[in-house]
Amino acid sequence: MKSRAAVLHGTDQEWQVEEIEVDAPKAGEVLIEWKAAGLCHSDEHMVTGDMVPPQEAWPLLGIDDLWPVVGGHEGAGVVSEVGPGVTSVAVGDHVSASFIPSCGRCRYCSTGRQNLCDAGAGAFLKGMITDGTSRHRMAGGGPELTLFAKLGTFSQYSVVSEDQVIKVDTDFPLEAVALVSCGVATGWGSATNRAAVSPGDTVVVVGIGGIGINAVQGAAMAGARHVIAVDPIEFKREKAMEFGATHTFSSMEDAFPAVMEMSEGMMADKVIMTPGVLYGELMALGTQLAGKGGTIVVTGIAPMTQTESSVNLFELAMWNKEIKGTIFGSLNPRADIPKLLNLYRDGQLKLDELITNRYTLDEINDGYQAMRDGSNIRGVVVHG
Amino acid sequence: MQTKAAVLRDIGQEWSVEDIELDPPKAGEVLVQIKASGMCHSDEHLVTGDLAGATSPMPLIGGHEGAGIVLEVGPNVVGLEPGDHVVFGFIPACGRCPSCASGHSNLCDVGGAAFPTGRQISDGTARHHTADGEDLGLMCLLGTFANHTVVHESSCVKIDKDLPLDRACLLGCGVVTGWGSAVYAAEVGPGDFVAVVGAGGIGANAVQGAKLAGARVIAAIDPVEFKRETAMQLGATHTYASIAEAMEALGDSTWGRGFDKVIMTMGVGNGDALGEAFHLGGKRSKIVVTNIHPTVEASIAVPGAFLTLFEKQLVGSLFGSANIRKDIPQLLELYTQGQLDLDTLVTNTYTLDEINQGFEDMRNGKNIRGVLIFD
Repeated sequence: MKSRAAVLHGTDQEWQVEEIEVDAPKAGEVLIEWKAAGLCHSDEHMVTGDMVPPQEAWPLLGIDDLWPVVGGHEGAGVVSEVGPGVTSVAVGDHVSASFIPSCGRCRYCSTGRQNLCDAGAGAFLKGMITDGTSRHRMAGGGPELTLFAKLGTFSQYSVVSEDQVIKVDTDFPLEAVALVSCGVATGWGSATNRAAVSPGDTVVVVGIGGIGINAVQGAAMAGARHVIAVDPIEFKREKAMEFGATHTFSSMEDAFPAVMEMSEGMMADKVIMTPGVLYGELMALGTQLAGKGGTIVVTGIAPMTQTESSVNLFELAMWNKEIKGTIFGSLNPRADIPKLLNLYRDGQLKLDELITNRYTLDEINDGYQAMRDGSNIRGVVVHG
Repeated sequence: MQTKAAVLRDIGQEWSVEDIELDPPKAGEVLVQIKASGMCHSDEHLVTGDLAGATSPMPLIGGHEGAGIVLEVGPNVVGLEPGDHVVFGFIPACGRCPSCASGHSNLCDVGGAAFPTGRQISDGTARHHTADGEDLGLMCLLGTFANHTVVHESSCVKIDKDLPLDRACLLGCGVVTGWGSAVYAAEVGPGDFVAVVGAGGIGANAVQGAKLAGARVIAAIDPVEFKRETAMQLGATHTYASIAEAMEALGDSTWGRGFDKVIMTMGVGNGDALGEAFHLGGKRSKIVVTNIHPTVEASIAVPGAFLTLFEKQLVGSLFGSANIRKDIPQLLELYTQGQLDLDTLVTNTYTLDEINQGFEDMRNGKNIRGVLIFD
């Protein structure tokens, strides 16, 4: 079938809304009509090249040609067709995307770490998880397409593995479901799970976008005494206060003396790094904001080829600090996406308030410009 | 097809070895030729009625600790093909329910729902029938006391073909349950004082788990001398014939502090014995209840005050709180490397026709584990 999709043909280009061909789902696959897709910074990382594997590494990764790429990995939609052997969803079901698959069988899935599912290994390959062949190509016999995170939610339709969709109740607005599928879970889990914020903690969140705002929300829910949000943009600092921040600062330099004062010199228990791009030099103050025994959680995406970051290792050892990376907030998509949606239903998790602006697919470049300008917490593409 | 199985028709009866009819596997199911099956106390619980209501209705095919070779796969089976060697998990791991998705596949919701029916997970019907056409239930959705069985793929864990199936079968229940009770449920750490109450097929492996986790003292408590000796072989540092004897020796074994971890692995759980063993635990100790108490038992004799005053924790554990897809292959690696002893666990082997003799030996305390070997 034909579908319209936002396609990227290389770094430093605009998204092109074009027609693509989508094949029918094979065994273990489903055809999804995407209804809503979040404009997450990770797609922008493809545009800037921060998340593009260097070309010399392609043979090692098994990549023939990375481009063209259908963007979008934060999404929600409706199951339109199922291939043979699909048991967890049926036609008409509402589903959340899961940008990491959860096969349920590998060592990581089996031990409650679905965010590390081995089936996520081929994220930059054109072939499906199921049989290694592609279902998507440019219309008119054009090249096969890479789907970002094997989802491509910037397409009206795409075929994905059953392992990457999670059935959700039909009464949830699909825009809300879309947000939970990446940004909300990642931010919330960074605070509640990976940082393990506990009652009375002093928490600093560095960078208040679609991820950081949910780290703020998670830290507040976990009972933090101080939730300090750091962002240069005033609108985002205001938004952070709505989501549970107790203090805001426009830079880590400004936050530093204030954190020292409000913690009686002990500094933060938890620092969560969620800037748009995590440059290594940000880690210098990031680690210093944490006190003795403090935890620094690295959530933000750093440029893929960056190999150095500024961490004072003497302080790290002498003050028993720890730096922990996280993907998807170290949550389990199949358990935690429904759980977060239930918190939303109960009024304990804000989702509607995260959406700053809505766009049609044709307006997608406007949406990303707004992100670059800092005027969106989250933009959402609503497929027509 | 026709095959042979050990059928139980009522509480208190003997196992009846008879020819049965086996349907081919449907979607998501596999036909397995069973090569070896452990005789676990939980099957004996079927005979005594201790598990009444929690497992398949009668008549049923017993056995839940098995390993074999896949002969045929039904439609839509992913990751298994004819010729593969498999160990069955006595609880399936669907990989998708909330319990599986959060790293607790030992509590798989799919398995929990299907267990009391004894019928196939996929569609709730039976593949196993008596010669005269009556449907047969399956112990733990498996029925490993048979030459062949049809089970859902979520009960199967593929293993390397060079591993001996008469050892690997023990990973389907007893070894993982005991080892995990020490390693995961009790969270034994280096330097801990550990007491294991009951040194049968489960307790012997709790001893092994505690040893590998670095316990300083491992006290194995069992009235049968042969079991105490085996426990010493597997890593116990002290043995006692009774809980009372272990209580009197607390000064010697733990400098009077009490054990950090007490693991209950008796043949049948007993509320009074648990109350007694509870006192073996010291301050902030964990008392892990692994053994099965009769489903009709309504209370246990645990002195509540010491939960608070000594901050003791009473913890239940099923299947060693483990995850079969990770732990069965990992424990087999430990066996290959000589860090887990499976050979000592197998005391006697039997043919299917000798099954009642095997259970009689269990009752008489002669076996750590008896294993059925199929041709």
